Amino acid sequence: MSSKESCRIELRTAIRQLSDRCLYSASKWAAEQLVGIEQDPAKFTPSNTRFQRGSSSIRRRFRTNEITSTPPTGVAYVSTPVMEEDEAIHGDFYLLAKSYFDCREYRRATHVLRDQTGKKSVFLRCYALYLAGEKRKEEEMIELEGPLGKSDAVNRELVSLERELATLCKNNTIDPFGLYLYGLVLKEKGNENLARKVLVESVNSYPWNWSAWSELQSLCTTVDILNRLNLSNHWMKEFFLASIYQELRMHNESLSKYENLQGMFTFSNYIQAQIAKARYSLREFEQVEVIFEDLLRNDPYRVEDMDTYSNVLYTKECFSALSYLAHRVIMTDKYRPESCCIIGNYYSLKGQHEKSVVYFRRALKLNKNYLSAWTLMGHEYVEMKNTPAAVDAYRRAVDINPRDYRAWYGLGQAYEMMGMPHYALHYFRKSVFFQPIDSRLWIAMAQCYESEQLHMLEEAIKCYKRAANCNDTEAIALHRLAVLHRELDQPEEAAFYYKKDLERMEAEEREGPNIVEALMFLATHYKTQKKFEEAEVYCTRLLDYTGPERETAKSLLRGMRIAQSGFPSMDVEHFHP
Amino acid sequence: MAGVVKAPGAFAITPHKVSVCILVNIYASPSQISVPFPFSSVSQHNRLGLYLLALTKSCDDILEPKLDQLINQLREIGGLLDHWLTDHVTSRLSSLSSPDDLFNFFNELRETLGGPDSGVMEDDQVILDPNSNLGMFLRRCILAFNLLTFEGICHLLTNIGIYCKEAISSCSSYELRRVDNSGNDLESLSEYENMDLNLVFKKINEEMEARKRATEQVSFHLHLPKELSTLVEDIEVFADPKSEHNDKGRESSSYASGELLRDVDPNGGVHFLRYLNNLYHDDYFSALENLHRYFDYRSYLLEINHSDKFWQNSAGTEGFDFVPPAGCNSFGRYEIALLCLGMMHFHFGHPKKALEVLTEAVRVSQQHSNDTCLAYTLAAICNLLSEIGFSTTSGILGSPFSPMISVGTSLSVQQQLFVLLKGSLKRAESLKLKQLVAANHLAMAKFDLTHVQRPLLSFGPKTSMKLRTCPIIVCKELRSGYHLISEFCCEGSTMTADGAFSTAWLKNLQKPMGSLVLSQDNGSRNNSNPFLFFTQPSSIPGSVMQLVGSSYLHRATAWEIYGSAPLARVNALVYATCFADASSSSDAALVHVKLIQHLAVFKGYKEAFAALKTAEEKFLCVSKSRILILKLQLLQERALHRGHLKLAQQVCDELGVLASSVTAVDMELKTEASLRHARTLLAAKQFSQAAAVAHSLFCMCYKFNLQVESATVLLLLAEIHMKSGNAVVGLPYALASLSYCQTFNLDLLRASATLTLAELWLSLGSYHAKTALTLLHGAFPMILGHGGLELCARAYITEAKCYLSDPSFSVSKNPELVLDPLRQAADELQPLEHHELMAEAFYLMAIVFDKLGQPEQREEAASSFKNHLTLNRRHRLKREKRKSTTSDLEKYGLYFFNPNLIINC
Repeated sequence: MSSKESCRIELRTAIRQLSDRCLYSASKWAAEQLVGIEQDPAKFTPSNTRFQRGSSSIRRRFRTNEITSTPPTGVAYVSTPVMEEDEAIHGDFYLLAKSYFDCREYRRATHVLRDQTGKKSVFLRCYALYLAGEKRKEEEMIELEGPLGKSDAVNRELVSLERELATLCKNNTIDPFGLYLYGLVLKEKGNENLARKVLVESVNSYPWNWSAWSELQSLCTTVDILNRLNLSNHWMKEFFLASIYQELRMHNESLSKYENLQGMFTFSNYIQAQIAKARYSLREFEQVEVIFEDLLRNDPYRVEDMDTYSNVLYTKECFSALSYLAHRVIMTDKYRPESCCIIGNYYSLKGQHEKSVVYFRRALKLNKNYLSAWTLMGHEYVEMKNTPAAVDAYRRAVDINPRDYRAWYGLGQAYEMMGMPHYALHYFRKSVFFQPIDSRLWIAMAQCYESEQLHMLEEAIKCYKRAANCNDTEAIALHRLAVLHRELDQPEEAAFYYKKDLERMEAEEREGPNIVEALMFLATHYKTQKKFEEAEVYCTRLLDYTGPERETAKSLLRGMRIAQSGFPSMDVEHFHP
Repeated sequence: MAGVVKAPGAFAITPHKVSVCILVNIYASPSQISVPFPFSSVSQHNRLGLYLLALTKSCDDILEPKLDQLINQLREIGGLLDHWLTDHVTSRLSSLSSPDDLFNFFNELRETLGGPDSGVMEDDQVILDPNSNLGMFLRRCILAFNLLTFEGICHLLTNIGIYCKEAISSCSSYELRRVDNSGNDLESLSEYENMDLNLVFKKINEEMEARKRATEQVSFHLHLPKELSTLVEDIEVFADPKSEHNDKGRESSSYASGELLRDVDPNGGVHFLRYLNNLYHDDYFSALENLHRYFDYRSYLLEINHSDKFWQNSAGTEGFDFVPPAGCNSFGRYEIALLCLGMMHFHFGHPKKALEVLTEAVRVSQQHSNDTCLAYTLAAICNLLSEIGFSTTSGILGSPFSPMISVGTSLSVQQQLFVLLKGSLKRAESLKLKQLVAANHLAMAKFDLTHVQRPLLSFGPKTSMKLRTCPIIVCKELRSGYHLISEFCCEGSTMTADGAFSTAWLKNLQKPMGSLVLSQDNGSRNNSNPFLFFTQPSSIPGSVMQLVGSSYLHRATAWEIYGSAPLARVNALVYATCFADASSSSDAALVHVKLIQHLAVFKGYKEAFAALKTAEEKFLCVSKSRILILKLQLLQERALHRGHLKLAQQVCDELGVLASSVTAVDMELKTEASLRHARTLLAAKQFSQAAAVAHSLFCMCYKFNLQVESATVLLLLAEIHMKSGNAVVGLPYALASLSYCQTFNLDLLRASATLTLAELWLSLGSYHAKTALTLLHGAFPMILGHGGLELCARAYITEAKCYLSDPSFSVSKNPELVLDPLRQAADELQPLEHHELMAEAFYLMAIVFDKLGQPEQREEAASSFKNHLTLNRRHRLKREKRKSTTSDLEKYGLYFFNPNLIINC
């Protein structure tokens, strides 16, 4: 069990090493966690802790059980290794190369390091070469842009990089950073198994490189793969697990991991944002909003993850808050995909779908693989009734991440709109496969089955049943179940579901025609069943409502009374005035 | 005019086009002599010109040949010049090392073109007319180059580098001439070389070829779903002989296709190709996935890009008579997606699902008023209905079809199919979809072949109708199928504008012409005259050839059913000789099957098995291929004749297994398997079991309306009863079979039913011998003219028996009347190794000789009889565990001949 202090020391060294190798985003991440560790209030003046002030309020509000102990992360047997430094003369070249690198002159950096053999230099050379290739690839993408921005540009350096790194790997003269790069290259080349293996090796020998963990995460698409990974214990692994659980839609597990981690990294904005995202997936919008507000107070120029915040605001239809957020991110950084996405959300909320699409498009220009932007753009196209475009957008989303159930759902919806319910079913099936606990998906599928073209009521009933089992907030499923059973001439089942629906509506204190319908059915049903007592209860309740049902209830009551008083064969209608 | 006028965006300059430009430049180099420098004769010059014409036309294809392919083609046409040409092209290409070289090159090209005002022309000067085909091509290339941005030019340069490199890495005989220029491009290029990508590239080429085929043929497959599978098989068959690493390479090929094909066609064609690949590998889920993905992307693309090439070639149905509707309505081609999905389900053996999807396709096509697609969908439904044999359709064809079948739901499935077929034909005709019309005619013919026409109305005044199938209608339908080819022949000139045909044309270069059917040398390329393809009168697209070919196949089948063996054989031969090149592998296999079956029936097993061997080499035995089935059939028949009953049963069981595979139950095969089972039981003299099997089989045939099969089964039942000594019971079956045969015009089967009837009469007693003989003589012309060896032999033996049992017939007076047919029978049975019948023949012969008092000949016949008897009985006795103690001739005679045989001297 590592103490806060040792964590701090590890991170500090790691940050230096990472930024020395120009792995900036990993070092940024590490630094964020470093300051996230709770400081010993005795040692520091208030000015030092100023940074960490705000977040406690939210914890007070939402934490029921304060976690007292830090998580059992196991023994961190990897202490920060001291990387060997290249000799002084080579060190000079390294400094030059690093400066070039910092100025984004990657090929120059590569060239400076061409004859260097130290591990650090080799890594930087390869990394610079990789980035040079990536940069060229991005440029080519625009140059060779095919229809709809599809293009086939590839990083042309991958082949040589793979060869060189493979040789290094074989000769065992590769450091964890080299392994990370090797994994990256392998992944791009599509050799996922080897990439996974190499990345595991990298994070096992140097766990503080968050970029390596992220790459590894993108390669673990199922729980099985995750369980097969042979990862050694380290507190970094907890971060990884928390993040991957979220990716694999194990939101509760993820949340508990993050909350554990928060014990040590109390003030980490990163963790806070991740918790917010997890809660967002659990649809706890109120809490998410509070967390994000808090986060923005501490870190006002943050753009990362703010798209999730904007989604929350969108769902809650907070026009002004959303516009405020959009304004804020625009001022911070206009050309971030997240910023564009937030603006897109804003316009969408305002019902200006054309403008919204423009901004989503911009977001996608900035990051082709921005999953949620594709999906959201699909939604916009659906709103604009441009189904082919919507289909295309959704399809890109699922091609980026096949587990994105929203996009599958969108595809289904689009095809359903075009009057192709059978075709749509394929997509709905996909969607529920990846998110079986969402009642809305089941309901959509059921409606598809119910459509007049298919009219497969049995299947629809099955779907509604699933929907009813997974917390159908809008209470559509129960009602539809009842109606369908009634249509199929199964009064017992219909009565069962009407009753359930009624109970539910009572519990939620809902009003509406559904109640009358349910009461009406139950009353007549019990009457034909000769269960007069129940029938009477429902009839009496019907009397509270106005309209023709009331009259029917009256006559029913009358009929029952007559039947009970010894004229069983008499028809009610005869006595109707 | 498709293929000539295209949006400038669609015509991109590629390395291949650059090399074509180089060749054009050679062809039309601005010189003063009539035959420019490298050419030695005018004909040589013209040859290159023709080749270039074909090349430029095929430039609109999706995939362009690699440099080595081009070099190979050049080698074929270049003759003596081949080295000079290839060297020139490669050196010219590799001299392009900077963007400026490209600029200069295209400037040079411009000089080749005569200006618009080139009125002043010297007599012998070769100048390219800017409005000629080649001139247009050059102009388009130059225009496309001028439209390129500088980055675009850089990319072109890089691509030319790769293009050269690939050629060099795959054909080492051409040395690397490329001047090394610095830069990373080259470095990455050398990587390609080092990585030993040859295999991968090879695979890619194959995939590309496959795709080319796909694009050529999809139009056809749209309406004949069965062909979908065929097509895919084609791809594989096409690929197999080329690479030995096929099995190993399969996985890598999918990897390669995923990895590398991505940059072949960004428009999503890859997904379709992958779909086809999955289809071939029977990977349902991936196929489903890729099909959906393909159409998800495609539909939107179509929105944007009307002149999408892929569309024109694939769904564009017949290339030229499809005119994309002017105002492409805002909904994409979703109905086509449904159509494909339906056909996919059908392919995977989910007819019910397929029908659901196709129903939706009908609805959506109607909704989007896409009549073409509707016509194809209807045709697909017809095909589905006729293929699945009506076993599962009851209840599916319900309400959704009522808009089309307004007649109501009281119709049987067959009647619904008939109505659908009619409707589909009408639709296709009104839309002028020639291929679909032809295909529909074929389907109609198929329907008429096996279905009696009945009045559709179940009430009201009925027109008098003979309840028979009508061969004339079948022939008419088949004939109208042929019209297709004549239409294509007349329109030859307009057609050549299409790129696909030229590609087919180019491809013929590699194919030996007039490949011999069943010949041992199935790959000799020496005899292929490189200029033969120029002499081809017109290039008819492969799909049309295929369709016309399949009409010949239908013809062959029709004649088979109607019982004219020579005509069936002739039609099969016509198919095999004229359409072998264009045929799909399953059709080709089918025709081989037909010919081999014919051999087996008329020439005996030895020849049939020899032919089968060649066929097996030709068609790789995919599981459940026709060839495999044929092999089992032949084995079973031979075993039955030889008396290896155990083996026969075993083979029969294997057939049964093939019939009900995972995908779907093949009714035809299932019927056949149980028919053979009953036959085997009959041969084993287990009459009651045989009768039970045959009976249940008849019930099945009746249930699923397999009427032609019913006739056969009834005949078999008659035989079973006859053999079990119950001739009286057998008679009604034989008569029923006869009436079936009459209804369906099954002449040969009718003749054999008559024969059985004669046998039955005969076994009723010698009193009926005359009747039997009359019956037999009535059937004789048909039997001898069209029947196989066994049938003829049986007829001869029966004839002899009739004479022998006739009380008024005397052997001694007219011995040849009996001996002659018996000898004939023995001769004909020899190649079939049918020991039982042969024993019978020799037995009769021996008796006749005995009565005639010719002991020597009697002994000879008797010993042959014994021989065959032991050969036949050995297995049977083993099986029945009977002891063979009797060697007495008479006893054997009693063993299997009826006692009614009275021989008069």
